[in-house]
Amino acid sequence: MNTVIDAFLFPGLFYALVWTVLLYWFFRKFMAPLHKRVGPHFNGPYGSYQTLFDLSKLLTKESITPDGVNPYLFSIMPILAVITALLPTAFIPWTPSYPVVESEYGLLALIVLIGIEPFLLFLTGFGSDNKYSFLGGIRVLTQSISMETAFFLAALSPALLFGTLNLSEIVDQSSWGSFLVLIPGFFLYFITLLGLLEQPPFNIPDAEQEIVYGFYTEYSGTNYFMLKLAEFTEFMAVFAGAATLFLGAYKGLFFDNYLCFFIKMLLMAIVMMILRAATPRITLKQMLHFSWRYLVPISLLNLAWVMLAKNLFFAGV
Amino acid sequence: MLRILDFFDYAKSESLWMAHFCTGCCSLEMAAAMGPRYDWERYGYMPTPTPRQADILMITGLVSKKILPALLRTYAQMPEPKYVVALGACSFDGGPYNDSLAVIKNPTEILPADVFIAGCPPKPEAIIEGLEQVKQKMKDKIPSAASQGGLWKEMEY
Amino acid sequence: MKKIKAILENFDTEYVEDYKKIWIKAKLQSSDALLAVAKAVQDEGLRSLSTVSPTDFPDRETIELNYFFEDLQTKRNLWLKCDIPRELEKCEIASLTPLFPGAEWHEREAYSMFGVKFLNHPDLRPIIVSEDFIGKTPFRRDFDWEQHEEDVAKNVQAIVDAFKDEQATNEVNLDPESSETVLNWGPTHPASGPIRLRVHCDGEEIISIDPDIGYVWRALESLVTKKDFVGAIVAVERLCFMDNINSMVGYCMAVEEIAGTEITEFAKWMRVILGEVARISSHFMGLGGFFMNLGLHTLFMWNLGTREFFLDFLESYSGARIATASIEPGGVRYGLDMTMFDELQKALDQFDNTVDDIEMIFVNNPTMKVRAKDVGVLSADEVEDYALCGIVARASGVKTDIRIDEPYAAYDQVDMDYVTRSNGAAADRFKVLFGELKQSVDIIKQAKKRIEEGVASGEFNPTKDHMVKVPKKLPAGEALSRVEWARGEVLMHLVTEEKAKSPYRLKLKAPSFNHTMMLNKLLEGQTLSDIPLVFGSLYVCQGDLDR
Repeated sequence: MNTVIDAFLFPGLFYALVWTVLLYWFFRKFMAPLHKRVGPHFNGPYGSYQTLFDLSKLLTKESITPDGVNPYLFSIMPILAVITALLPTAFIPWTPSYPVVESEYGLLALIVLIGIEPFLLFLTGFGSDNKYSFLGGIRVLTQSISMETAFFLAALSPALLFGTLNLSEIVDQSSWGSFLVLIPGFFLYFITLLGLLEQPPFNIPDAEQEIVYGFYTEYSGTNYFMLKLAEFTEFMAVFAGAATLFLGAYKGLFFDNYLCFFIKMLLMAIVMMILRAATPRITLKQMLHFSWRYLVPISLLNLAWVMLAKNLFFAGV
Repeated sequence: MLRILDFFDYAKSESLWMAHFCTGCCSLEMAAAMGPRYDWERYGYMPTPTPRQADILMITGLVSKKILPALLRTYAQMPEPKYVVALGACSFDGGPYNDSLAVIKNPTEILPADVFIAGCPPKPEAIIEGLEQVKQKMKDKIPSAASQGGLWKEMEY
Repeated sequence: MKKIKAILENFDTEYVEDYKKIWIKAKLQSSDALLAVAKAVQDEGLRSLSTVSPTDFPDRETIELNYFFEDLQTKRNLWLKCDIPRELEKCEIASLTPLFPGAEWHEREAYSMFGVKFLNHPDLRPIIVSEDFIGKTPFRRDFDWEQHEEDVAKNVQAIVDAFKDEQATNEVNLDPESSETVLNWGPTHPASGPIRLRVHCDGEEIISIDPDIGYVWRALESLVTKKDFVGAIVAVERLCFMDNINSMVGYCMAVEEIAGTEITEFAKWMRVILGEVARISSHFMGLGGFFMNLGLHTLFMWNLGTREFFLDFLESYSGARIATASIEPGGVRYGLDMTMFDELQKALDQFDNTVDDIEMIFVNNPTMKVRAKDVGVLSADEVEDYALCGIVARASGVKTDIRIDEPYAAYDQVDMDYVTRSNGAAADRFKVLFGELKQSVDIIKQAKKRIEEGVASGEFNPTKDHMVKVPKKLPAGEALSRVEWARGEVLMHLVTEEKAKSPYRLKLKAPSFNHTMMLNKLLEGQTLSDIPLVFGSLYVCQGDLDR
């Protein structure tokens, strides 16, 4: 029974659905004032039903499988993408009584599951039999390869500091002191997160003005809904990873609760949105240059700093 | 069970996304309708980059002979249920270009439109009002005009 | 000017005369001398060929070709004419493309519309016209359009067949060993608008670009000949809706020149105000579009918000937000109610409120500089050779602005200067655009002050002075008018017949045509990400590209 609740209610499918609907609404409603607009308004209070309607519509609309594609590859990839994006939630300590899967190697599972998502997206583009989709797929792959190196290195810094890969233990040991030491790591994690989630300035794979919609181009109806769900669930996994690794997860100033966790994730979403409203897209070449020339060396330096800090300040721990 | 299906039908009518395709000048007023003063996102309208995710095809003004096949192809690429909205005088009878060499005088005979929006170009308020009428049409479960007939079914594109 | 006349004296000419202040008008006896004359004037410094405009005279059995040579540096211009026979087989003339590369598409256009064959042209394919018109001559006076229209379905089928043929063959001819492929960038593409670029690319790298235009071809040049002189403004205004006023100003100036009408001072100032309002509303779209192509919608939205206030002024003046039809031969269509200036003041205040934010966040945006400072670079030499104009020319440091070079309306009394930058990259074009936006607001303030003073002193009567009568029937003649449009130079060549009610021939030279021609040159060897950026920075509108 517990397994069913975990898989379908919290932190499983239902939770991901609610999160998707709410975050999608929040994105649009938050973006609108930055554009000097109102955003969704007439459907429900503050237009909050709007994304529910949008996603329900996508779920029930006709999904077209274009001529000449492999129908299995084309339709299975979105489902796999959703499942892969959902799996990390099992390793995240949402509250003191979680995670669902208590593992000594939680961090490893988390970053690997986050890391394979782009390959599934590449396959969706590859399977679409469309030049723009294929270009989008290649771009996802290029971007993930160059961003993930720095992402893994940044995500490893708390593990080095605390000497464990167990996420619950990382959260237990975290303190204000460790937070200060991990600030550079957190910044690196946040920058690479933008790359992994294809957010500006790294929204290169689904660049509307360049390659139509990248790997999404041929997807419609239910399949597109699945991809959208996977995208937002991926947001959740990556944000939750950041909150767990660097910000002390459910720990709050006055009380320890899921609410603190949620606020931390929301803050990251807000920063991401503000960047989205003020930063143009860079090119693939510039992204590669930035990643390998600056991000990767700096994240190596960050590891050195964490080792040093550990020996200086946390020698007794 | 019926209730759930009703909910999905209602959701379809309340969330209209436009295919991003401009055939003529009226797309300028479409941009204005997106902008801060008129902001059609209040009603849930949104442009999408690809026709695969669109619910509504806007014939934005004149349809020249050369763009007609592309228009029909875009329509064919959209998933069901799909509706067509014709903007401006040009898409009704050629408008100011009625005597022109290159313009299709009655594009809606080829691809019948569900709602005509008058004006040259129509004001953004009129565009939003027209889209509200499409919503009403979907709520009343009236099938789209293009699925009922029109020359596009016999044409090759 | 004397030097040009001296050059022309070496050749057989029918006449050489001064025209306006900075033009020389000449007609050659025979078309054989054209190439030699062109070479000579090019050496003299007239390096830009603005356009080639054929006029069809069936009763004289000739086609008259008009060449407009311009010197962007010293502002000396030459209008050269010559006759060629009208029969399709003999309708030939030497191509000027080897000398003036900017003439390439203009000659292709003359070839597809009038059937004039240009010898030695490197790439004489039809352009703009849809496939059903290929091999026909749609703009000749005797073209039987009604017969052509009898079977529309067949015409559309011809277009479909041509497209399918192209799709079936476009990858067959490529080298099977390479990974070269052909992308269709448009016309359904989110950033393209109704234009199709055939992009040959190898992965992300662009090998070459061949634009396919004509998706919004409305044949405006033949449409105006079916309307009367006032009705034609409806067609001229639809050259591009973003800045419709200035194109009407150009047309009305040509009509007034033939009719010999002098418009009132008040109407001149009104044309300045309306023209600058339209220019601002166009520049707002251009600035926003530039950032939209970089994947950032914020500036576009902000600009749309401010633009609405300027459209409010147009609406209070003419009753329509965009299609104002408010400039007419003889002045401006409506009188001015002075309370309308309150709307204008509101718009100017709104502009002042937002302009600093835009400058801080977007004009000085570091990411934009990284993206755009080395992309799409045009040198001043290229600008002259390809006859580019408007912001594209000024961003490369060429000082050309028809409002200053050849002042029309009341621009001779306006205090303004060229807005130029020197590098000619995409970022510079964006900054010139922004500089001109501020300049236009400054001009509006000057014009508004002048009108208010004039009305206060009783010099202008805003309800009566706006119009002088222009006869319905014009004498035979021809006129040339140039205006600085939002995108650059619009050149109109109007020909009328004796006691005609409608124009005999109107040639519209629009700037986007030359700018689109540059795409291949600018994007060769770049990556796919640069297509929307360069395309957006050239400030192309498909409306005036196809006409």
